[in-house]
Amino acid sequence: MNEELRRKIAQMVYDGKDGHMPSAFSIIDITEVLYQDYLKFDPQNPDWPERDYFILSKGHGCLALYVILEKYGFITAQDIALFCKPGGILGEHPDCTKIPGIEASTGSLGHGLPFAVGIALGLRLHQMDNKVYVLVGDGECHEGSVWEAANVANNLQLGNMCMIVDQNGSAVQLMPRDDLPAKWRAFGWEIMVIDGHSKAELHAALSKVKFQSQGTPTAIIARTVKGKGVPMLEGHGPWHHRIPTKEELKVIMEALS
Amino acid sequence: MTTKLIREQFADTMLEVGQEDPKLVVLVGDISHFILQPFAKACPGRYYNVGICEQTMVSMAAGLAKVGYYPVVHTIAPFIVERSFEQIKLDFCYQQLGGNLVTVGSVFDYSNLGCTHHCYGDFALIKTLPGAQITYPSSPVEFDTLFRQVYRNGALTLFRLPAHQHGEDFSAKDVQFGKGIKVIEGSNLTIVATGPQLQNALAARDALGDMKWDAEILYIHTIRPLDTGLIRASVSKTKHVLVIEEHTQSGGLGDDVLRATRDISNVQYASLSIPDTFVTGYGLYEDHCEKLGLTRDGILNRVRADFNL
Repeated sequence: MNEELRRKIAQMVYDGKDGHMPSAFSIIDITEVLYQDYLKFDPQNPDWPERDYFILSKGHGCLALYVILEKYGFITAQDIALFCKPGGILGEHPDCTKIPGIEASTGSLGHGLPFAVGIALGLRLHQMDNKVYVLVGDGECHEGSVWEAANVANNLQLGNMCMIVDQNGSAVQLMPRDDLPAKWRAFGWEIMVIDGHSKAELHAALSKVKFQSQGTPTAIIARTVKGKGVPMLEGHGPWHHRIPTKEELKVIMEALS
Repeated sequence: MTTKLIREQFADTMLEVGQEDPKLVVLVGDISHFILQPFAKACPGRYYNVGICEQTMVSMAAGLAKVGYYPVVHTIAPFIVERSFEQIKLDFCYQQLGGNLVTVGSVFDYSNLGCTHHCYGDFALIKTLPGAQITYPSSPVEFDTLFRQVYRNGALTLFRLPAHQHGEDFSAKDVQFGKGIKVIEGSNLTIVATGPQLQNALAARDALGDMKWDAEILYIHTIRPLDTGLIRASVSKTKHVLVIEEHTQSGGLGDDVLRATRDISNVQYASLSIPDTFVTGYGLYEDHCEKLGLTRDGILNRVRADFNL
């Protein structure tokens, strides 16, 4: 699904001569479902106090978010065209001081989850029922700050937050002994494990999140494929940060047609 | 002179400001827990002893700022400024969120705990962050006054609280964020002192007078933004400037004084600070100061060695 969004991402990488295409392809389906059916937002008023918060902690996947922000009217086609170009607002990591709809400037891994913990705590103090979603990478879960935040969120019983782990297999390349569901369960989080490219499974999981102001935070472990949708890109080969040639772009576009 | 500790004033200020401002939230890393209980009781839901996880504590504080709170993060200096530097840099400064870092155990206040618990490069580190503010309130009234002036001005502010005080009784009206204080007028030597070292600068003045030096003493409680106007006016007159500070020479107040006065002709400059080395000895705070020359006699020796009338 979401072939059109994937094609737009591929074109951005080709035109901008930069970007992490496979990382964006592993999260685009998750991100689209969130914006289509779960997040409350107003593109005309990105700082609307009643909005839900979406923190993309694995900032290098931001191309997926950029095309979604354009689709829902936060940014323009001109912004997309200026990706990684002088005068543009879209870089290879998202900058919340420039881009409407971006909640956090991420890129250095391990920041988004603890930042989201502070947002969730603050919303609870305000007695507001906004939901807080945060998307982290499985490789990002190597960072110690992720587990500090996991511990704190559980101890503060921040049931108003839902974390989605993009488990695209980056982590196990380096540390194969990695039972992510067991780890998050051990840290006291409510766990669901799904196929992160299945719309039905994404809906089944996201619709079950309770979002209580005081309760167990939820972790959805979304099993994904890095580069999903284009066989040439899938997996953990050279494409993590590679720019396609004109011929390779054609192969990518054909695979997504 | 007050006998109140600055850290006690910190707790009192949190209580008073917290009762006035429902957006003040205090996060601590298992330190000052008991003295902050009056704040915790008076301001329910706005005090958290988060745990031993300083990086997350700083990021969380930025998250609280994102939704409109004025966070205060408090623990031992190296664990905020050094361990969590990237969280300060990215989550607060890069994202243009305001917050307050209140440290204790600065420099070598925990004198016997070794370099793991020392922190004398904090000015240098924080000065690399665009928009960040640095204060060094070394009496209770200075902390109370400076905190109230800036805690919600939208910037990231470091408050370095020393265990020792300079002993001067400044009043609240004397203390203005970003403005230095001319403590004593002089004519041919400027001593720029920050932190508790103001006490040694004042103690050295009579003996300097015996050496024909009429020292003008400037006290700096705001390291950034620095009151360069006060410093330039003094140095333009005296042509000799000695900076005394409990910070590494590299990146400290002295560097800023040099930069601020570089275009004033015929100025002689000297620095009393911490050299490019770890302070590895043991003993009291005063023993470390003695070894480093951060004393009254250290000032006299440095003036004798570096300056000529």
